Amino acid sequence: MQSSQLVIKGSDTEVNLMALLAEAYWRENPNSRISVSGGGSGVGIVALLNGRADVANSSRPMNEKERALFREYGVACDTVIFAEDAIAIIVHADNSVDSLTLEQLGQIFSGQQRNWQPFNGKDELINIYGRPSNSGTHGWLQKKLGIKFSKHALEMNGNAQIIEAVKIDKNSIGYVSAGYVLKNGKQTDDGFKILRLALATGQPAYTPADKRAIEQEKYPLLRPLYQYIRRESLSQARAFLNFINTPRGEEILMANGYFPVKYDLSQR
Amino acid sequence: MTYRSGNTSRVALDRIMQMVFQASGLFCIAILGGILLMLLFNSVLFFAKVPLQSFFGELTWQPEYDKYGIWSLLAGTLLTTLGAMVIAVPIGIGTAVYLSEYASPSVRSLLKPAVEMLAAVPSVVIGFIGIVVVSPAIMMLTGASNGLNALNGSVLLAIMALPTIVAVSEDAIRAVPTVLREASYGLGATKWTTLRMVVVPAAYPGIIAAVMLGMGRAIGETMTVLMATGNAAAFPKGFFSPVRTITANIAIEMGEVPFFSVHYYGLFATALVLFILSFAINLLAERVVARIRRFQ
Repeated sequence: MQSSQLVIKGSDTEVNLMALLAEAYWRENPNSRISVSGGGSGVGIVALLNGRADVANSSRPMNEKERALFREYGVACDTVIFAEDAIAIIVHADNSVDSLTLEQLGQIFSGQQRNWQPFNGKDELINIYGRPSNSGTHGWLQKKLGIKFSKHALEMNGNAQIIEAVKIDKNSIGYVSAGYVLKNGKQTDDGFKILRLALATGQPAYTPADKRAIEQEKYPLLRPLYQYIRRESLSQARAFLNFINTPRGEEILMANGYFPVKYDLSQR
Repeated sequence: MTYRSGNTSRVALDRIMQMVFQASGLFCIAILGGILLMLLFNSVLFFAKVPLQSFFGELTWQPEYDKYGIWSLLAGTLLTTLGAMVIAVPIGIGTAVYLSEYASPSVRSLLKPAVEMLAAVPSVVIGFIGIVVVSPAIMMLTGASNGLNALNGSVLLAIMALPTIVAVSEDAIRAVPTVLREASYGLGATKWTTLRMVVVPAAYPGIIAAVMLGMGRAIGETMTVLMATGNAAAFPKGFFSPVRTITANIAIEMGEVPFFSVHYYGLFATALVLFILSFAINLLAERVVARIRRFQ
């Protein structure tokens, strides 16, 4: 859009990370001007479509509806997967549940199972803390678990608010990007517990804090993080996007709980 | 001749100023009309695709299921607003009475700016207080496991409506002529009787205006309720259910809808409902105020 400034918008999961990357890039290139804001993956994609952003961060792939809109509006864009992110399932620190299977998680999030009884023996309603439908995490989880979220699920305005709410509610369960709860493999804060997840009953359960499990793609809730770039902004965005792939960029990714993915922009 | 020309230029200035002021007044009306027209236009496009009986027939607003029902949102807005009024009206009028009738000038000079300062606290800050203070407090007092609900929103909106209610009703109470009070005291009435029988009834129009203005403040508030009420789509069972208000729903969803889709127009339709609601409250307030004035 503007030639002077690169506007990056979208995923709430990626916004902190992107701001850190932009700052580091700016230190090396003081003349660059990059604006980073959040709002949710859907917000970024729509902003790209409406011409209010150059790059859309998204924690989910574009859906068919959005692809159709891009064709209809005649907006061309390129896709980059620049990192992988684990989604952490968190509960209150006093909850005795340690691990869940994906099936159990689906039953809880869809509202099929609304009581903690079968999981920890307590006859209490489960309170789900999640993100609204404009969140990529929300959409990605629905697809991954093959469910629609319960209408009783509370929709919080960001990852940080979910963590706050889970910490004070004894019957809580919530989902957040692992980058918000893990720093260098350690839990960032007390008051909540990160659950181990298993693909199915009888299979081993892994925590997102386990670096090996992530590297070997064994943690079940691992998802790619996308960037969509408006075709006419690609030349302007290239330098910054290449920076993410440098050792310095990868270091920032890893320090914040994300896992770098190599990509090549030169062939486009 | 000089005298005359001087006079005409003064008259001309007078007319120009009249036109300037008239233009400012009309400008406000034009903005309001523009907003109404935009809401109506987009709502018509919505109702062309989603019939009225679906908008008023479905209980919940869940666009991912193609459910565009207004009731759960409307219930969220009404619950939080009514709750806020139940809390804020007694406290607000009590504060106003204290400020104008009881407080010494030094206390008043401290308390009044303090109450007005409340209005300057940004709504995100109040919403944050809702998450970290009011929510745990509700959980502790009621034993509920979740404190992000309609009651939380009501408490916060009450805080936000207080400055308006206090300021306007205090003005109304102070405007009651002293002779009325003196006449009451002269008949041997106590301060409480005077307040109850003379001062507050005389100030009724202003107090009702204050309550209505406070209600307008509460019903349109977005960020605070968005942060503190949980935003669940289910139809609320009461004050301890998480609710989603019309304003919060628009704020959450407006950013993600593709422009000119059914969902996009639908958000305008909900906004129209909110507009009609606030308009009705204002109209009712004016009616009530006018009727009370007639009886005085």
